[in-house]
Amino acid sequence: MDNAEATAYLTQFIGKNLRIHTTDNRIFGGQMKCTDKDLNIILSLTYEYRKPSSAIIQRAIQASGNPSASVPWNSRYVGLVVVPGEHVTKIEYEEPTYGQGAVEL
Amino acid sequence: MTEPMPPGGSTSGKEGGALTQEQPGVSAASTTLPLRHSLRAAAIDPKLHDITEKFTEACNALKIGQLVKDEYFTLFESIGALEIMDTKMDSGFLQPGETLDEVYDTLAPLLPEEVIGIMDQLLCYEMAWHTGYPLSQTLLTSVYIDKLLWPEPRSVEQAQFYRGYVSEERRPGLLLRVLRAYCLALVKCVDSGIAVITNRDFFEEEDICTHTYNRVLFPQVGADVFVGELEDVIQNVQECAEEYITDDLKKAMLVRLEFRKNFLAALDLECPLDQLNKHWPLMQSNLVAINVTHQLGKPVEGSFSTKIQRRLASTVPPRPIVVLEFKDAFEKLKQLCADCEEATRFTSLPQNPLEYQSFMWAFASRSPPPLTYSRSYLSNLLFHPSSDLSILLQSDLGSLVFPASVVLDPSNWALSPPQNPNLPKDKRFQLAQLINDFTERAGHAYLEFWTALGQNRCRLRRMLCHAILGFDQVQNDAYTIDEGIMALTQEMGSAPENEIMPYPLTTWSYYRKLWMMEKVVFLGFEQDIYLPDEFAAQYHFLSTIASTRSRLLTNVSTHINAKYRRLFAAEGQTLRVATLVETANYVDSLLAESIGVHELSTALAKFWMVVLYLGLLGGKKLARPFSSPELRYELRMKPFWTLQPAEVPPFEEFRRDVWSYGPYDKLTPRFLEDLQNPQAELWMELDEAVKRAKEAWAQVKRFGAKSARAEGVEESWKREIQGVLASCVALGVAVAGIKGQAPKDLGEIRVEIPKVGSGKRYREGWVVGKVCRG
Repeated sequence: MDNAEATAYLTQFIGKNLRIHTTDNRIFGGQMKCTDKDLNIILSLTYEYRKPSSAIIQRAIQASGNPSASVPWNSRYVGLVVVPGEHVTKIEYEEPTYGQGAVEL
Repeated sequence: MTEPMPPGGSTSGKEGGALTQEQPGVSAASTTLPLRHSLRAAAIDPKLHDITEKFTEACNALKIGQLVKDEYFTLFESIGALEIMDTKMDSGFLQPGETLDEVYDTLAPLLPEEVIGIMDQLLCYEMAWHTGYPLSQTLLTSVYIDKLLWPEPRSVEQAQFYRGYVSEERRPGLLLRVLRAYCLALVKCVDSGIAVITNRDFFEEEDICTHTYNRVLFPQVGADVFVGELEDVIQNVQECAEEYITDDLKKAMLVRLEFRKNFLAALDLECPLDQLNKHWPLMQSNLVAINVTHQLGKPVEGSFSTKIQRRLASTVPPRPIVVLEFKDAFEKLKQLCADCEEATRFTSLPQNPLEYQSFMWAFASRSPPPLTYSRSYLSNLLFHPSSDLSILLQSDLGSLVFPASVVLDPSNWALSPPQNPNLPKDKRFQLAQLINDFTERAGHAYLEFWTALGQNRCRLRRMLCHAILGFDQVQNDAYTIDEGIMALTQEMGSAPENEIMPYPLTTWSYYRKLWMMEKVVFLGFEQDIYLPDEFAAQYHFLSTIASTRSRLLTNVSTHINAKYRRLFAAEGQTLRVATLVETANYVDSLLAESIGVHELSTALAKFWMVVLYLGLLGGKKLARPFSSPELRYELRMKPFWTLQPAEVPPFEEFRRDVWSYGPYDKLTPRFLEDLQNPQAELWMELDEAVKRAKEAWAQVKRFGAKSARAEGVEESWKREIQGVLASCVALGVAVAGIKGQAPKDLGEIRVEIPKVGSGKRYREGWVVGKVCRG
């Protein structure tokens, strides 16, 4: 991929919703604002999601007796964040439910 | 910005991102992650595409330093971004092995001692919040409160220490129910507190932090619900057998519940005005009992945790829990109750804006300074929906420039314009229109003035500087309205009640403006804003303003006396004569006070001038390489530069008055001569000024608090006058210590400046130096 192609490819995600998974198993969902060569990504209007620990899941199952009990993810609003490239493990693009998502994947 | 958080996505199975034992993988679960929450499940699940590989590849192809960014996104903005995985910035970053889960079990049975301990801990955090710390570092660190509030309960019944199903033997017993009722009432107290504070002008993070971090503190539920919960458990505890809770513990617990109930009722925003003074006194006895029984409690440290902060909607990493000792918290609570109890007296004041003003001023001067809540509480009473600012303003006008006058006669407002627009309007109707016009123009500045009175002392000074500018404009606008009023009253005939003073509204605005200017300078001394080498200059400035004010008041007084004679001679004017006598007393008291301020500040200006020439303050002279006296003067007088008529004398004139013997560091022969001669003009003038000041203040004292319109706060008014009189005496003593001394004897003399708040100033704003030997 040459530089012009790469720039064009990345530019189309600006303002689009991305979900970035990090090395500590959190997920950040927000609008992409900026990225660079080191894969640092700035997201705005970001929410942080953290999966419940196994202890909590175990407790929920014990309490309810239902092996497929529903346990909520912890989530909260964190706003404008920068995820350093070294901590990014996975990037997902969230296609808009409504309207056109004119993105070439 | 999208509305922050939903209830954790837990309730709807489809949206909720269920993660179960069978499918523990993150990737599997992530497909159903809720990104933007709505109360109802979205119709279509968003489609996700894994773009990791291509995205990474594209990034690698970028040049070093090349940014792919939103064109509206600036570098400046990006500085505000929180760096994920950075220990100092990322509030969600966990140390290895650290989990977010609370290990503390909120359903574990507690001992009665522990319940009392937790109640007292909560009280400490509540007071810490009242003194300005955020909820995230205080009350919201309680695991119990967190359980009650998160996930957000849909009803008060749902706010429990558990959610959903709990087995019979785990259900909370009496003590946990007591704690729950207490916590809920506490949460509602905070909510009512926030409601009162945000109702009025306050300064977020300077005064108090009203941020609730997306926790909802039952704003829509009435206080009576929580009172009901408390009453239930109170009854249960009373009926509880002694083998479960010993008698003294039971009493300690009951008094805390009682207190919370009273506190909640007192804080309730919807409490009717005539009930206000009922609740605060009730708490006095509760407070004593709480303090005595504090040692019975056993704190439970584990029931508070910084971890909760990671789950609050906050962009800052966890900060330590604020520790406020029970002793200090209790003092704050006592102060809060005393201040609010004092504030409720506002409702029983004589209905007069000047009384209100004295009350607000005295309230702001209370020591220690009232907490934000108490100040807002009082402001809420002043700005109660039932009070009308324009009536306040008219009554204010009536007390100074329109006593017993036709201009403010309420019947003027009952008239309507003639149906035929060609007919002349009734003169009284026109008067009412002019006054309405003025009220509209002055309303904003007047409101600002009252708002300022509800602030703490430092901000009061700053806001007054601003209000002064507003009144300057009002004074300017008043001129044309005054001409209209004067023309109308002249046409209305020569009955004594039609007589008004020349330019009444201008006079009133000017008077108000000068009063505020004096207070600004005075508060500057109170708050130690001026450096010692400015004392002479500032007191000199104060004396000029005060003398302008007393000239203005002399005019008012002359008019009132003339009117009084005419009214007295006329028949059937008893009521008007009585009003006029009252006003005359008020104006006389003001006049004496303005003379007192003028004379005392003149004396102090001279005293400090001599002290500065002689360099008696000790210590090194302040080196000020980057400024000149002229620039410093300009800066200090900045709030007043633009006023019309000019109140700030030009620098040359000012220099002549304040440095009448040349610069401070050069002693001229003329000064040395005057210094040693007790008969010199310098000393004669000084002594005279002190004497006249003493006389004037003694006169103010004789007129009494009622004439000064400070009847509601007579005690503190008397203390104040007494303090000024003592300052006069102290100044006389200090002057005697320096007067007539030969320069060689002065080596042994020092002048000490009594520190603010040390109790060594008789009045904080009147700084009288103390002459010491050796």
